[in-house]
Amino acid sequence: MKKRRVAVTGVGLVTPVGNDVESTWSALLAGSSGGAPITLFDASGFATTIAAEVKDFENTLVTDRKLLKLTNRSHRFALEAAEQALIDAGVRPTPGDAHRWGCAVGAGMMTTDFSDLVETHKHAANSGKIDTDLLLTDGPANDPIVFCRGQAAEGLALLTRRFGIHGYATSVHTACASGGQAIGTGMKIIRRGYVDRVLVGGFDSMISPIGIGGFCLLSALSMDNDTPERASRPFDATRNGFLLGEGAGFLVLEEWELARTRGARIYAELAGDGNSLSSYRITDSPPDGDGPIQSMRQALADAGATVEDIDYINAHGTSTLMNDRSETAAIRAVFGSEADRVDVSSTKSSMGHLIAAAGAVEGVVCALAIARGEMPVNANLRERDTDCNLNLITGEARRGRVRMTLSNSFGFGGSNSCIVMRHPDLA
Amino acid sequence: MKVMITGTGAVCAAGTNPADILASVMSGQTSMHPIEQWDTTHWPTHVAGEIPNFNARAMVDDRKLHKLIRRTDLVGLYAAGRAIDESGIVAHRDTLEGVARAAFSDRSGVIVGSGGGNFENQYDYFPLMTEAGNDLVAFGRELSNTVNPMWLLRTLPNNVLGHIGIKYGLKGTNACITNHSVGGLLAVIEANEALRAGEADRVVAVGHETPVEPQMVLYYHDVGLLASEALRPFDARRDGSQFGEGAGALVLETEDSARARGAQVLGEVIGGGYATEGEGLLAIRADGDGPERAIRQALDDARIRPAEVGMIVAHANGTRASDSSEAAALLRVFGDEMPPVTGFKWAFGHLIAAAGVVEAVIGLAALRAGVVPGIAALRELDPDCAGLAVSPSNQVPRGPVALVLCRGFAGTNAALVIRST
Repeated sequence: MKKRRVAVTGVGLVTPVGNDVESTWSALLAGSSGGAPITLFDASGFATTIAAEVKDFENTLVTDRKLLKLTNRSHRFALEAAEQALIDAGVRPTPGDAHRWGCAVGAGMMTTDFSDLVETHKHAANSGKIDTDLLLTDGPANDPIVFCRGQAAEGLALLTRRFGIHGYATSVHTACASGGQAIGTGMKIIRRGYVDRVLVGGFDSMISPIGIGGFCLLSALSMDNDTPERASRPFDATRNGFLLGEGAGFLVLEEWELARTRGARIYAELAGDGNSLSSYRITDSPPDGDGPIQSMRQALADAGATVEDIDYINAHGTSTLMNDRSETAAIRAVFGSEADRVDVSSTKSSMGHLIAAAGAVEGVVCALAIARGEMPVNANLRERDTDCNLNLITGEARRGRVRMTLSNSFGFGGSNSCIVMRHPDLA
Repeated sequence: MKVMITGTGAVCAAGTNPADILASVMSGQTSMHPIEQWDTTHWPTHVAGEIPNFNARAMVDDRKLHKLIRRTDLVGLYAAGRAIDESGIVAHRDTLEGVARAAFSDRSGVIVGSGGGNFENQYDYFPLMTEAGNDLVAFGRELSNTVNPMWLLRTLPNNVLGHIGIKYGLKGTNACITNHSVGGLLAVIEANEALRAGEADRVVAVGHETPVEPQMVLYYHDVGLLASEALRPFDARRDGSQFGEGAGALVLETEDSARARGAQVLGEVIGGGYATEGEGLLAIRADGDGPERAIRQALDDARIRPAEVGMIVAHANGTRASDSSEAAALLRVFGDEMPPVTGFKWAFGHLIAAAGVVEAVIGLAALRAGVVPGIAALRELDPDCAGLAVSPSNQVPRGPVALVLCRGFAGTNAALVIRST
């Protein structure tokens, strides 16, 4: 049976380097950094005091105050980026076709806003230990809005309600692979015939005392506090951890013929998805690239493509010692000598690591690379790690026809996601 | 292509394996008891389905792992391990060598429905907050002296996925679904679809959650979802649900994979359906639109008519709005052809992300035993639910096919159709 094909027809972004697609894209081409001292809270006591925050953000497209009251920071990014993507696609659910629309999102880890945790601590755990009877009279612990904002399914609830989506709607979380897996899920439910159009994306914001604290405890973050704009330097010999980012990326996926019939502008064909488990360690990929190798091969096979067809790889490229080395080994294993030809960059060099949103934002980057014939630079690369022998895009962005792209996302827990897109003229 | 069930595992308040849980439910005894994890004397809610004599070592033998995971992960790993053991997939893989062995691992997937997070884990920061007073600078400085360095890893919603992979060396397709209480059943549906699409030859589908913690119970109580006394599905005087904790797992395999290794087959997954109402986190439509569409899609997918369904394992969570809208959906789909209907939450509570998987596992065990367990907590059928073939006593299935229904926050609804062999 012939597979139903999937078109990318709309994109939306809220990132540390821009609150929409155009500003983000200019920054990625220029290689400008979103890294800066943390302003969302006083981080001066932490080992890492820098992050890539979304700047001067307010919801301009979604202004329903009743809805916004139910959001945390990451949900607000999600609503804005999703609305951008639907406007861009020029199509949205109607009561007549709501059940043929799906939604698949990579959602950040459920946490209570820090201010609420502070209030609960003060009221019910002043000694350091929770007094469950005092919880009965605690403010946040009895506030249904705090409850809703903290639920893992709240982002999905807000999006499906806002846009009237009544088909297959799901929320996935495989840490840093979440966004990529959400895109893959969206593609699969169109192929299966469950739905015809899907809003897919990812959103996250962990720049809080708990989030930064959690990563500091694992020694995962760069501590280059004096040079935040240089802190994220994937594949550089001096890299020393990732730069935590935040934001959201969304795409509108449509069954190919429906998109063509309505004359939609098609950025790219979403052609292949690959998933694997490294089953090695919770936080690391194996040095030989086992795991990511399988996800890349699967995605290529799923797309009916070979390594010769790929012109651009958006690497996971977190700027940690282990990831970049392991990912290089995986790309080398899959691409062989073709790895000398294919252009590679990690846009985390500009945006930092958006965790559950990363794969979705980087999916948007690939769609734009194909549509515009432009490939963002791997910023901050000065001293190449000899173990990271890839054809990295250094200095400035590259221009040229991009036939197909491949985007990697690897998560804590060992999930590896790979997404392959194809130029619409070749689909 | 046929998708076979070759192993099952489950743990909840009613038992630590499917046979014991089924026997307990069939006996008409509830496993709901006073909460033991904290003192509820002054609390508005006292009852839940906690796993009795909870012992972390009995769940997961590897003590080193206990520092890296939470209670919810312990039960998930336990149920998955029992299903994997029963199926024999890993024992079989370990008889292979070289390329064949690696290929088997690469073609073995894991899909998990997980609760996505809890509140108690965040309390690990309370001692630090006390020490630092209101001073965030001191908070940052003292962080590593006070908080477990593995805190973030313990908090990951996808721990069961990652640790099953590591322990059993499964390396294929995977997902962790954090869709509140449909997550588990959706994991089974996705596992079925992954096999149909040729993404894997076998997939372990798991659902796990331990929601019985103070702040979670308080919120559910405050928004009016918890029963004042007992969970009585479809009853005229029902007034809410009750939490339980647990996990369930199924090993699904392509017919070819099962046959090639001469596996014992317990049943088959024959269809799935899924629909969202999209009216917000807690809202559900009164007319049963979502569950009706999910059921019709699942029956279409399984290519069967309503009359061919032998029993229905309803979501039956005991809240007024969910039970009556679910009944409306079932009545519209099945009308005069209503098979015996049951539900299990009255017996061991609402397991949230684990609910659908445990109920599919117990539903399959019931089909195989030729029984539709009664809903012993049912006293008087609500006129709103009239027409449902429910009974406080055990019934007999009309045939070997069961429909399992599951509903969750964000107006999500999942339906699975299984057949016993």
